[in-house]
Amino acid sequence: MRIETEDLVLRYGETTAIDGLTLELEGGKIYGLLGRNGSGKTSLLSILAAFRRQTAGSVRIDGRPVFENAAVTSRISLIRDNGETVDIGTAEDAIFFAEWLRPDWDGAYARSLLDLFGIDPKKNVKEMSKGQRSALGVVIGLAGRAPLTMFDESYLGMDAPSRQAFYDALLADYMAHPRTIIMSTHLIEEVSPLFEEVVIIDRGRLVAHEESHTLLARGTAVTGPVAQVEAFTAGLKVLGTRRLGPTASAMVYGDLDDARRGQAAAAGLDLGPIAMQDLFVHLTGGPGAPGAPGTGEESPAAELRTGETR
Amino acid sequence: MRFPTRLLAANAYFALLLFAGYVVVVAVIAAGVAVFGTLSQSAWEAAVQLPRWYALFTGVALVRQYLPMYVAHGQTRRQFGAQAAVTVALFAPFLSALITLGYLLEALVYNLAGRPQALDKVHLFTEPTQVPLVFVEYLLEFVTWIVSGTFIGAGFYRWEGGGLLLIPVGIGLLLLNEGAVGTDHLGLPFIGDRLALDLPHSLGLALGVGAATFVLGLALTWSIIRDMPIRNRKS
Repeated sequence: MRIETEDLVLRYGETTAIDGLTLELEGGKIYGLLGRNGSGKTSLLSILAAFRRQTAGSVRIDGRPVFENAAVTSRISLIRDNGETVDIGTAEDAIFFAEWLRPDWDGAYARSLLDLFGIDPKKNVKEMSKGQRSALGVVIGLAGRAPLTMFDESYLGMDAPSRQAFYDALLADYMAHPRTIIMSTHLIEEVSPLFEEVVIIDRGRLVAHEESHTLLARGTAVTGPVAQVEAFTAGLKVLGTRRLGPTASAMVYGDLDDARRGQAAAAGLDLGPIAMQDLFVHLTGGPGAPGAPGTGEESPAAELRTGETR
Repeated sequence: MRFPTRLLAANAYFALLLFAGYVVVVAVIAAGVAVFGTLSQSAWEAAVQLPRWYALFTGVALVRQYLPMYVAHGQTRRQFGAQAAVTVALFAPFLSALITLGYLLEALVYNLAGRPQALDKVHLFTEPTQVPLVFVEYLLEFVTWIVSGTFIGAGFYRWEGGGLLLIPVGIGLLLLNEGAVGTDHLGLPFIGDRLALDLPHSLGLALGVGAATFVLGLALTWSIIRDMPIRNRKS
């Protein structure tokens, strides 16, 4: 499902959670939605799923408004860690309602997922461990087969093997039943191989929206003697620099053409990739959150917003 | 609109389980009173003070538990509102039928034991075996308590502590029903039976007020939930 937001604003009292966000997402892809705590990820997903109405601006899915539009919302699923879809008695009870309310529900697939995650259908959800509750949410989200399925950190409570089983199941089901999937997460390195495109937001604003490989290609680690690194990176957007004795490693954001790469080789500098998590950290203000709301400092993201990213 | 089969079935199933358990508990207590004291009144009449609180919390749960679930499953608030209204309209008579059945079971047992099934409070009925009147009185009571629950529950869900301000309105709905039916045993905490509306008593007025309370309670609830955000409470 195609998603379009224009000048989207969401305020809670004095707090602006979404601040003029304009975004277009094509359908049929897996998106990663990244942002620090309080960046507006959950607020954005809540608006997309009609959990709440925006304060200003517009949101359209497949060209139609979302809030209280049954034709659109029936094709959307948002699974949060709050457990709206599972806190209803036993796992069996949650399935009882899901299969009735979800038009594309696949009961056989749901049962296979319950087995995969070792969930006892008769067990009361409130007596389950956090990991089991999260897994049940994942079951509801996957078996619902909604054309727009969103997971808002809903799998963070699961242990590592269960999360891996979830990623495998999600990818396999996505291949068999293509749809639009948005995953909000803090486990960036773990989940990023699934992403076809990445959306990064910070303080309710769009920082970057790129294909994963394009975003990763924009970041380069330049490593070598301090003087050469400083000379090479002069005039480039440097996200951060680490020094160890006479050696420096600078993270540079932006395309490096063949000529620049040749210069680097000639200067004895190594060019390497940056992990998506490192890129994310620096695009959203760097470690320790410099530029956090209220500090008056500008984050690198503020510069980049007006540059090459949308 | 789809008929709310599963919403109704889930609530009816749970109510049946509670009813069965409650009948056993009341029977045991009544038997204890009969053995160790004097049982000359209807035990069921005293016991049915509790089910209306269950009805109230059913109304609360409709908004707090089922509305978020419906929205999370892609239903609109309007779709939920319609299904909830039908559920209330059918669940209240279901509860009332269970209470009526309880009176009849008690009448049977008391009759076998040779004990009088006297009533202690004012009702629409004078004998517990006046099935239609028993059914109507509890139907009106449960309708009112459920819609008061949806209204107050919606207020607390939307405004948290601000929901306290809606409690007097909810109590107002209960008093309206109590006054129209002519009963005098609201028995609310802190208020007891001190507040009462002195309305003319007739079955027609009671039914009319009951219908109005049902519509008013749902309309007030709808005014709160029609654009209500689904909260991001931390689990």
